[in-house]
Amino acid sequence: MLRKPLLLALMVAGCSKGPQADLQYIEQARSLGAEWALVNEQASQGKLTKTYVSSMHEWLRDQLQSSATSLTQPNSRYGEEIRALLQQPDDALPEQLRVHSNALKQIEDQLESA
Amino acid sequence: MNPLELTLGIMTAVGGFVDISELVFAAKAGSQFGYALIWVFAFSTIGIIVFSEMSGRVAAVAKQPVFNLMRHRLGLKLGLITLAASIVSNLITCAAELGGVSLILNYLTGAPYMLMAIVMTAALIASIWVLPFKWIERVYGLLGLFMIIFAAALIAIHPPWDKIAGGFVPQIPHGLSTKELLVFAYFVVAIISAVMFPYEVYFYSSGGIEEEWGLKDLLTNRITSIVGMGLGSLLGIAILSSSAQLFGPANVSPEIPGTAALEAAIPFGKWGLIVALLGMFFAVAGAAVETCLANAYSIAQFFGWIWGRHKKPWEAPRFTLTWVALFLLALAIVLTGVDVMVLVEFAILFSILVLPLTYLPLLLLSGDRKYMGQYVNGSTAKTLGWLYFGVITLAAIAALPLYFLTSGGNG
Amino acid sequence: MTPDSRIKLVSELLDLPLYDTDGLYCGVVDDVELEGKPGKDLKLKALLIGPGAYVGRMPSWAMVLVRLVAGERVTRVPMDQVSSIGPAIHLKCPGRNYGLHRSEDRARAWIPHTGAL
Repeated sequence: MLRKPLLLALMVAGCSKGPQADLQYIEQARSLGAEWALVNEQASQGKLTKTYVSSMHEWLRDQLQSSATSLTQPNSRYGEEIRALLQQPDDALPEQLRVHSNALKQIEDQLESA
Repeated sequence: MNPLELTLGIMTAVGGFVDISELVFAAKAGSQFGYALIWVFAFSTIGIIVFSEMSGRVAAVAKQPVFNLMRHRLGLKLGLITLAASIVSNLITCAAELGGVSLILNYLTGAPYMLMAIVMTAALIASIWVLPFKWIERVYGLLGLFMIIFAAALIAIHPPWDKIAGGFVPQIPHGLSTKELLVFAYFVVAIISAVMFPYEVYFYSSGGIEEEWGLKDLLTNRITSIVGMGLGSLLGIAILSSSAQLFGPANVSPEIPGTAALEAAIPFGKWGLIVALLGMFFAVAGAAVETCLANAYSIAQFFGWIWGRHKKPWEAPRFTLTWVALFLLALAIVLTGVDVMVLVEFAILFSILVLPLTYLPLLLLSGDRKYMGQYVNGSTAKTLGWLYFGVITLAAIAALPLYFLTSGGNG
Repeated sequence: MTPDSRIKLVSELLDLPLYDTDGLYCGVVDDVELEGKPGKDLKLKALLIGPGAYVGRMPSWAMVLVRLVAGERVTRVPMDQVSSIGPAIHLKCPGRNYGLHRSEDRARAWIPHTGAL
């Protein structure tokens, strides 16, 4: 008698975990990494004030941390990429940041086409 | 019609058009869907022009603000429901604007965000206290014209103008997956909500009473609505288009409001960045003032209190205490630490849910000969008004399901 | 329209703004007091101004919100003090005679009387 409601509950619980549930955080982290790279790229060309750059670094890192802690599968490949981003210094090279951002983009595309 | 007053009115409308929600959603829309959502901006702008013109006309002809007449026309119960809904919507919007302006101050000065929230609240309260109504509007609106840097930045990056022009044609991009289609639909709803926020109509209508509009101001009202808001929306479209050109190819879907300022920094360097941040600061600060006063106007008008900033603060004491309390409530929301982007999402969501309740009374009032005499809605206003009412009702119905299905537009 | 002519309560009286002889805004007509008997004409006896007058026009749960924001004061103005009824109601006397500005006066005590241009 309880089987059908239980199965349904398990399905719902299953859907709320895993890569599909983490997709929005992967997208956020991908964008945050790309934003960070763009900020550092423009900063290296002297186009930004130090105050703005410093503030943006703080907020980008804060948001990335939030994405990382929201993951239902933090030990996944995408979880590692986000942690790798967080380990970068504030003034990391844009190319280095884009490596991780692009890796997240690939994972994102794979999940979306699944 | 005084040409100087008209020009200042138009410029104020232009500088005051963009707020934190439009900034955020324009940048995100451009990065995710290229130029495909430009038509939604244009379509929504026509909607806000139609309803702003109506609300200004009601103020000038009936010489009473919308909320006063709404209670008389719709009755106490429905009036109270509308009041409660608009208080919640406007309060969340005010908190989003306050959070946004504090964030922008942090980008400009490096000072701590929470401290800036407290400082900004005090500064905004002081500005409303000290300045007469006309100058409250003008200061923020005219200084918001720094936002023109975004239009200049778009020109400077040599975008594909043919694609931008194509964006004005209603469309749904080809080849979208089901999920992307839902996100696109969510952005359509969000942009309609952001452009047609309820507080704009309440503030505009009450502002008309504050400035003692009469029949002689009907043409000014019409021109200010059409030209001011039309030009203002071009700023939103410029932000969207620059984002399509600069952020989309870089895999950036702006997650924090400060990223939008890069649109001016990339072509113009440091001074472009500073001007963009100043424009954002004054535009969003102006929106914080408007949302707070719009709420105070609604409450005071509904309960029959003396109201208006054309009076000194102590001449309208309950109204004064109300707008001060509303600012403090908005500050309290910001000080909980809730993310500004989350506040923006909720502001958009609550506003679209409330929009039909906001615009229906206005449509009925402006179409009622008993209040409007010969200045009742003509066939154009009537047709467009009911068309847009239908659209916002559909958007309101779709908003919550789309929000949950797309995790607030995040896919 | 004069106060002793026939009137449509809802469309021509309720929720209209009220002004006194000094031209001061005194609030909104929130309810009315009637007198009459079965089979006789109903007569308007007084105007009721203030959120406490909503009681007869709103469900009790809504009054909780109203009390929170606006209190529950009611002021009664006899119909013989009404000089005309139109887009607004005009009184024959100052609003102070009936305490119509009392709440504003109380709130005024909290506001500094300085600093505004």
